[in-house]
Amino acid sequence: MNVDASDQLEYYLNSLGELGEVLIDSSEPNSVGKGLLRLTLGTIMSSKGAIFLFDNQTNLISVLASQGLKNRGSFSPPQSIKEELKKVRHQYINYQTSDTWINGALKENIDELKTKIIVPLFHKSLLIGMLCIGKRFMGKTFSETEIKLLQIIGNHLTKALYNYILIKDVENKERDLNLKLLELETLFDISLAISSVLDIKELSEEILWRSVGILNASKGLMLTPEKNSPILKPSASFNWDDQSFLLSSKLEVFIKINKSGKGAIFSKKIKSPLQKKIHEDQIIIAPLKVKNSVLGYMILCNKETRKGIIDFSNADLDLLSALCNQAAVALDNARLFKDINEAKQFNESILGSIATGVLTINDIGEIDSVNQAATNIIKQNKEKLIGNHYMYLFEKDQNIIEMIQLSELESKTKAEINLPFLTASKESIINLSVSPRTDQNLKTLGSVIAIEDITDISKVKNTFKRYVSKQVVDELLGDDTKLKLGGEQREVTILFSDIRGFTSMSEKMEAEEVVKTLNEYFSDMIDIVFKYNGTLDKIIGDELMVVYGAPIANKDDTYRAVSTAIEMQKKIKIINSKRKQTGLFPIQVGIGLNKGLVVSGNIGSRDMMDYTVIGDTVNLGSRLCSFAEADDIIISKSVWQTIQSDFQFKKLTPIKVKGKEKKVEIYKLIDFKSLNI
Amino acid sequence: MSDFNLEIREENEIIIIKTSGYLNNVGGEKISEACYAEIDKGKKYFLLDLENSKVVNSIGVSILIEIIEKLQEIDGKLGYFNLAPIVAKTFKIMGISSYSELYESEDEALTGILS
Repeated sequence: MNVDASDQLEYYLNSLGELGEVLIDSSEPNSVGKGLLRLTLGTIMSSKGAIFLFDNQTNLISVLASQGLKNRGSFSPPQSIKEELKKVRHQYINYQTSDTWINGALKENIDELKTKIIVPLFHKSLLIGMLCIGKRFMGKTFSETEIKLLQIIGNHLTKALYNYILIKDVENKERDLNLKLLELETLFDISLAISSVLDIKELSEEILWRSVGILNASKGLMLTPEKNSPILKPSASFNWDDQSFLLSSKLEVFIKINKSGKGAIFSKKIKSPLQKKIHEDQIIIAPLKVKNSVLGYMILCNKETRKGIIDFSNADLDLLSALCNQAAVALDNARLFKDINEAKQFNESILGSIATGVLTINDIGEIDSVNQAATNIIKQNKEKLIGNHYMYLFEKDQNIIEMIQLSELESKTKAEINLPFLTASKESIINLSVSPRTDQNLKTLGSVIAIEDITDISKVKNTFKRYVSKQVVDELLGDDTKLKLGGEQREVTILFSDIRGFTSMSEKMEAEEVVKTLNEYFSDMIDIVFKYNGTLDKIIGDELMVVYGAPIANKDDTYRAVSTAIEMQKKIKIINSKRKQTGLFPIQVGIGLNKGLVVSGNIGSRDMMDYTVIGDTVNLGSRLCSFAEADDIIISKSVWQTIQSDFQFKKLTPIKVKGKEKKVEIYKLIDFKSLNI
Repeated sequence: MSDFNLEIREENEIIIIKTSGYLNNVGGEKISEACYAEIDKGKKYFLLDLENSKVVNSIGVSILIEIIEKLQEIDGKLGYFNLAPIVAKTFKIMGISSYSELYESEDEALTGILS
């Protein structure tokens, strides 16, 4: 071996050593290509060359690395290139510019490099690229060793590039897997949203946004049908400004989707009415379907890629359908929740507006709901009542606890009226009912307690029952407008009765007999008073004061007052005949009636109130009673004017009464004892 | 949300780009144009404020990956803050968070991107 050959060999070995370093150090194809090309051109003494890459997916050629090329874009290969290169697989080509198998952009590039040698880069039968080398320095021809070296470098380059293709492929697959993972995560998130987001609008927007993102769409719309209308209204939109179009569920596409339950893809080639209406070319649509009911539709437009907008694929439709199925369940849940909430609010508003207090007790005896009336009646706030056990709440009212327990035990409604309610106060009186609370399978879940506060009603009853008949009390309680207790001026007819000579009579009697006589007398008289719905105002000694026209006014007040007086005199006649049989003194009564304006109202405190009337009319009534002799019924002119046609009267000489300047006209009722009233 | 808009400002040699709208093909291209223009001016550190970009698609992500690759060539960095949970999740799943930084706040991002 001479020195030149030895140097040459060492140089080539160094080059191969560097080749190994380039392959180890480079982390990506560009740097490998650049390093290897520089090394190759230096080793074989050439100034121009390039590594071209074949993309078998796009069928495009690109320049991985070059020295001596101005433009480095991608271009399509000549049709026969693969076949021609296959012929010299693992060999090389001595390229001539006159070669016709290379043409087009590739030929322009190769000629620009003044290419002499082409080394095809094959991995098995897969064409990866080609290494092109320009003319040798000083126009010399390449030696066999240099050609051999080129082939060795070509083989290493092939291995390296194939590895990168594999890595790229793995990366692409990883990216595809990540996209699939993202799709699954999106489906999972939507399934989570079913249990977490219950606001329909928020949920619709969330589902739509995610669907647009995951399907690389440029915009999206969720359509839901209007109530009682075929119009489909956007319930959520993303990136969609122009919503002026009117969509009807009668449109063929929606009818078809409803029928099949499946979505559809509209490509640029199709011109359907839906595409025309929404002014979009590339559409994908899927129904939001729960069981057999379509709640709405999701429409996405324009699938984006780095190379522009493309049509949606069947895989996209599968994904969108899966998203819509999940979304439909979520939206149906949200809709049901909204319905339940509305029903709950409706129930609460009803319960809140009624005067009856309602409490519900759960199966462990804790109060789990109360309405406003219940808090008012029990006199405790809602926070204090909720969660409290009924046995603690009603501990002062053992009878209520027993009612609840009995109701639970027998699964029957228990009710009581006029119950003292010590839980609220000593004065409270309630009507109470306890009913079992059951689910749809009639399983007992606790109790429902209804409390009606009748404290005021009871007070009114207690107050008035001494004065008026039950009929009047009921009338008062049935119509608040009739009950004006605050004091007012009104026209009434007043009846006074008085036992003549009772004081001297009682002096001859035992005290017990006096009380007994008066009690029997008043009992009979008050029965008559109440029979004619008179208001018993006062009993003073042996005197009785009755009012007609207060607290409730009626057209026949005066007639009833006179009728009362007549029946009282008739009753006294009967009483006296009995008394005569037992040797007792007869009772002789004078009655006076007057009609006129009085001031009526409750006078006194809330607990000790007295309903009464005051005024001149009252005083004159009393005077007329005093004037009346035994068995007489004396009436004033105002009474006479009212009932003159109903009874027989005798006008008496006007009388002078205390407090009146003018004499008062009076009338005496006659022939009344035979009247059948 | 139909228009994608950018607001660009600079703080301590860091370019902060506040976006609003859908980070898709259109949005991604606008970001990359802005970044490349700043890279040409010699800037290396970029932060994206994505508070008003609640939705991102994989095309938007692939454009961000291109920006990251470009920045790696010049030892630059890309970071993000104010991310909606769904966007952060997408970045993590798509692997973008391994090559760029996700920050909780602007302050954290301004400090973190330079470390």
